[in-house]
Amino acid sequence: MKPCPLARVAQERRALTAGGANGMQHLQRGIGLMPSVTLYHWEPNANSGKPMLALMEKGVAFNSHYLDLLNFDQHKPEYLAINPQGTIPAMLHGERVLTESTAIMEYVDEAFEGPRLMPADAKDRWRVRWWMKLMDQWLGPSFSMIGWSVFVGPSVRSRDPQELEAAIERIPLPERRRAWRKAITGQFSTEEMEESRRRVALGIRMLEQELSQRPYLASNQYSLADINGFNLAYALPLSQPALSNDELTPNILRWLRAIYARPATRACWALGRTNLVKRVTILEQPHIGGGQAA
Amino acid sequence: MNLALYHGEPNGPSLTVLAALFAKELPAELIRIDLARGERHTLPFAHEPLVAMSIEAEGPILLADGEAMTDSVFIACYLDDVGRGVPLRPADPYARWETMRWCRQIIERTAPAAALLGCRAYPPQADEGVLESIVSVDLRARWREIMAGRFSQEQLADSRTKIHQAVERIEERLAEREWLMGAFSIADLESFAWLAGMVPLVSEAFAARPRTAAWLARVRSTPAVTRALSLALRSDPSASWSVGPEINRWG
Ligand SMILES: N[C@@H](CCC(=O)N[C@@H](CS)C(=O)NCC(=O)O)C(=O)O
Repeated sequence: MKPCPLARVAQERRALTAGGANGMQHLQRGIGLMPSVTLYHWEPNANSGKPMLALMEKGVAFNSHYLDLLNFDQHKPEYLAINPQGTIPAMLHGERVLTESTAIMEYVDEAFEGPRLMPADAKDRWRVRWWMKLMDQWLGPSFSMIGWSVFVGPSVRSRDPQELEAAIERIPLPERRRAWRKAITGQFSTEEMEESRRRVALGIRMLEQELSQRPYLASNQYSLADINGFNLAYALPLSQPALSNDELTPNILRWLRAIYARPATRACWALGRTNLVKRVTILEQPHIGGGQAA
Repeated sequence: MNLALYHGEPNGPSLTVLAALFAKELPAELIRIDLARGERHTLPFAHEPLVAMSIEAEGPILLADGEAMTDSVFIACYLDDVGRGVPLRPADPYARWETMRWCRQIIERTAPAAALLGCRAYPPQADEGVLESIVSVDLRARWREIMAGRFSQEQLADSRTKIHQAVERIEERLAEREWLMGAFSIADLESFAWLAGMVPLVSEAFAARPRTAAWLARVRSTPAVTRALSLALRSDPSASWSVGPEINRWG
């Protein structure tokens, strides 16, 4: 197992706090002890990034076990022993294995000290869960389909076909096997891509409307809904420049920049290794106009 | 707190929310709507985004101090927080994670399957004017497919498999417990609500599942579920279905 990025996180925190930012002091807790939490994750992106960022916001030290999704690490026997479904992320807390990224985030919020990531008001909590469900089951899969067709598929396509076929055969879930096959062969129908684009466009409008009413998604405080949403939308002005920019969706851009400015977000995205997550730096631009090229 | 619940026959998500309301001893005005005729879309707040775009589709709506709330598991969590009586979720964070993960499986895998099989056996029927007023394009498309009787063999087979899998998981889970999460919880409510109507429709899944059969009877005889079922207008409310959540289209 790759040792934890604790030292690195601690170092980054020092750099960040030295610059006047604070709020990361709680990361001190646990340093020097062997952390009892291990997170199996890929990039700070989509489902992997949700528990990563939640743990970092809470200041929970954890062993980071990076799985390379593009190398099919998630279907190797060592990982299937942890999560037989072969999907990422999974979290080990002591002896217990937890899966399902959104449920893991609620667990992280409840099981550890640190700032509360669920609002105190019961109706706000309902709204947080409602938005997370929309993103997990409706908007996320549409972003993902586009992502797999333009990034995941092309990233692995050139490898030896026999090797790829063997890799697909090792995938435990039949629906994931179908998804990989589709991504590798690029066999997405025009209709399904069109439907995904329709949902992405509508989802962006819904987010903009929601964020024009409240500082954060679903409530007036930073919560798990924002962590979930940032993982989905952090590169939005780059991936959907015609739909999301400072002119068309000023509230989404304000919200993304506010989340990106948080020390935990910086530390989390610094763990990324691919160009996929480096896209987040688009948020450093003070103004992203509608004419911006993709 | 001022609560009004717009609900259909006590089956599926309407059953979950009615029973949660009763278990938590919360007073609420109960307003009957015919979900199988799409009446949900004629309500004054039907166009609000959190109603129109609810993943659960034709489920109940709780109006709480003017805010229209949807998605039965999360409404039940809310009622659990604000009501009295016994808790409907465990207190321990790990057991709460198990509850939320369990409910997610039911919501994402079992509910779409049950709704599809239920609608095939007992098709919902909405007027053209109502269909036209449905805000969500994908929900409207599902209504049209179902009303036209277009069910693919692949989806039907997959849905039956998902009912089998849900029952298998329940049977296994009950080996050491009386209720799915130890004590009676939202997980029992939501699982029962979607599966009760599957007993006659996917009977093989329930054959030789003694623990599941005993659990179904146990859930049915809790005071909250009994009271919810007593509101039925038809002799068998588990034969009432309307368009449900979408079957996963990707990932
Ligand atoms: N509902 C699960 C979904 C997990 C999931 O599908 N993760 C994706 C990555 S975002 C994955 O593991 N894909 C790799 C594969 O299927 O091989 C969660 O939220 O944790």
